[in-house]
Amino acid sequence: MVNIATLVKLSLNLNLLKIESDGRVNTADTQLAISEYDKNAIEEAIRIKEKHGGKIVCVSALTWGPVNKKISDAERILREVLALGVDEAHFIIDDVLDNCTPLETSLALASLIRKLGNFDLFIAGESSMDISNSQIPARIASILDIPFVTYVRKVEISGNNLILQREMPNGIETVEVPMPAVISVTGEINQPRLPTLRQILQSKNKPLMKYTLKDLGINLNAKLMKQRIEIRPVVRKNIIYEGGNLEEIAQKLVDNLIQEGVIKA
Amino acid sequence: MKRNILVFSEDPRVINEAVYIANILKGNEGKIFGVSKLTEDNDVLSNFDEIHFAKENLIPEQWAKFLIKFYKENEIQYLVSPHTVNNNDIIAYVSAKYNLPMISNATSIKDNDATLIFSRQVLGGRGISYIEVEKSLKLSVTVPIKVYPRIKLDKQSLIKEITEIEKTKITSKGFEEIKKSGFNIENADVVVGIGRGFKSKEDIKLAQDLAEVLNGVIGCSRPIAADYGWLPNDLWIGISSKIIRPKLYIAVGISGAPQHVSGIMDSKIIVAINKDKNATIFKYADYGVVADLYQFLPIFTRKIKENLKK
Ligand SMILES: Cc1cc2nc3c(=O)[nH]c(=O)nc-3n(C[C@H](O)[C@H](O)[C@H](O)COP(=O)(O)OP(=O)(O)OC[C@H]3O[C@@H](n4cnc5c(N)ncnc54)[C@H](O)[C@@H]3O)c2cc1C
Repeated sequence: MVNIATLVKLSLNLNLLKIESDGRVNTADTQLAISEYDKNAIEEAIRIKEKHGGKIVCVSALTWGPVNKKISDAERILREVLALGVDEAHFIIDDVLDNCTPLETSLALASLIRKLGNFDLFIAGESSMDISNSQIPARIASILDIPFVTYVRKVEISGNNLILQREMPNGIETVEVPMPAVISVTGEINQPRLPTLRQILQSKNKPLMKYTLKDLGINLNAKLMKQRIEIRPVVRKNIIYEGGNLEEIAQKLVDNLIQEGVIKA
Repeated sequence: MKRNILVFSEDPRVINEAVYIANILKGNEGKIFGVSKLTEDNDVLSNFDEIHFAKENLIPEQWAKFLIKFYKENEIQYLVSPHTVNNNDIIAYVSAKYNLPMISNATSIKDNDATLIFSRQVLGGRGISYIEVEKSLKLSVTVPIKVYPRIKLDKQSLIKEITEIEKTKITSKGFEEIKKSGFNIENADVVVGIGRGFKSKEDIKLAQDLAEVLNGVIGCSRPIAADYGWLPNDLWIGISSKIIRPKLYIAVGISGAPQHVSGIMDSKIIVAINKDKNATIFKYADYGVVADLYQFLPIFTRKIKENLKK
């Protein structure tokens, strides 16, 4: 039996960003989506459960507010997570966490985790798709004082030990670590499945619990540093050739590139 | 103001990438401490007031535990590190112990009198986040490699060996190096990017031929390296790998996901070849051709050859 907590980020939906005329991203009015590689974290948890048994819990903190605008979106996403095969979802909602940093997120998540009891394994995605700090796994491990291994592309369980392959820029590292431990997985570790209709129906009866910071008995000051997000301006010529004779298009393109001075005639 | 800075890098070959930032942050009389693996490189040895070396490879957790002690003993204000997978993890672990906020992969820093303004790429590279902090705040920051100038401070370093190594429950079971392409796509003038529009590994030849006539090299999107393993990881372009700034980037069969595009944004000219006229990559292109790459690439390569001969 392996009891697993998956760490899931309710990310900004990158396909539905609300952008103001001055280029600023309006996070309050942007919808949420599950962070891409957290799907891989959930899938890996399900595979471990299928093989070894145990329970899978999803923990999350809503870090994009205001809560009243985001809550139904967050619940919808967490229902989808439950439909995938997660047994329970627990999440923290508090306006203090709006646009906070991984410091506050990890403190909030760690207190939720402690409240929920003991886990053998914590699984996160390698990086969130919106903010990409990749700090949460190491921070959670530090707070809970347990080992961490990131960018895992293969998990094997042997007794109480995990045998993990890490994807590093220059190669593959194999490490062994006893549980409990925190790991993050790459986007390539597995192919996340889609839920069946039956699972979607069942998900409605699974526990989906909300907590404020007060419920968790913690007090956070998330005002230390706030970020302002702007869209990077793209200034490109956008000369697009479509239809017609490919020989002619190729010649035009070559002429363009010679004129730009990026290829030499 | 005295601000002590701790510069850490597991790999000593990149530690100097963070010294520029450290020097800005340190104020008038702060000290710059270095922690890394043993090196004989004099450019490294002369950049710190004190440098502490480990002789052997340490597990990230072991580095982190050493830094946790070091941080306290030396009254550190800022922890700075070149952004690599392990460095970022290690600094995050230490930051958690002291409740420090941390800015990962800060691409710029601006001194704004009482505050510092950092910026970093977000939203898969489509956005920039600006973070303003009081100078009195203790914090950590990792900085991308090859973005800040490499400087020489000509200090007389005090060199010490790390002798007390913390225990860890993690054991390393081996490292299998993956083969490298042998190309340096970060320095190439022309890069031809290969995406999932290519149907098989053999077809990459079409892009190779194009790169060859342009005296360039090939690169690729993440799935080509990480999913299919058709090309080595050092050719993978984007936010989770290499950032390139060639004179000419030609994206072939690449859809233009923000995480890929963020790795090519600073190219001088971008050309896109894609059969889908609605592909996002065209928004980022100076020149685009809506066509099947299998038809267009051979013609394009031949045309370049003909024009070069003239
Ligand atoms: C946290 C995170 C980090 C990531 N990091 C990176 C990264 O560093 N680098 C990266 O590249 N990706 C990264 N990704 C993945 C990224 O989101 C995309 O999935 C990936 O870039 C898509 O690769 P692609 O464009 O090759 O494939 P696709 O998106 O599948 O696009 C293939 C394109 O080929 C075109 N095509 C198909 N057949 C033909 C033909 N015959 N002729 C011409 N065109 C054709 C199609 O129209 C399509 O536009 C990351 C994702 C996340 C969530």
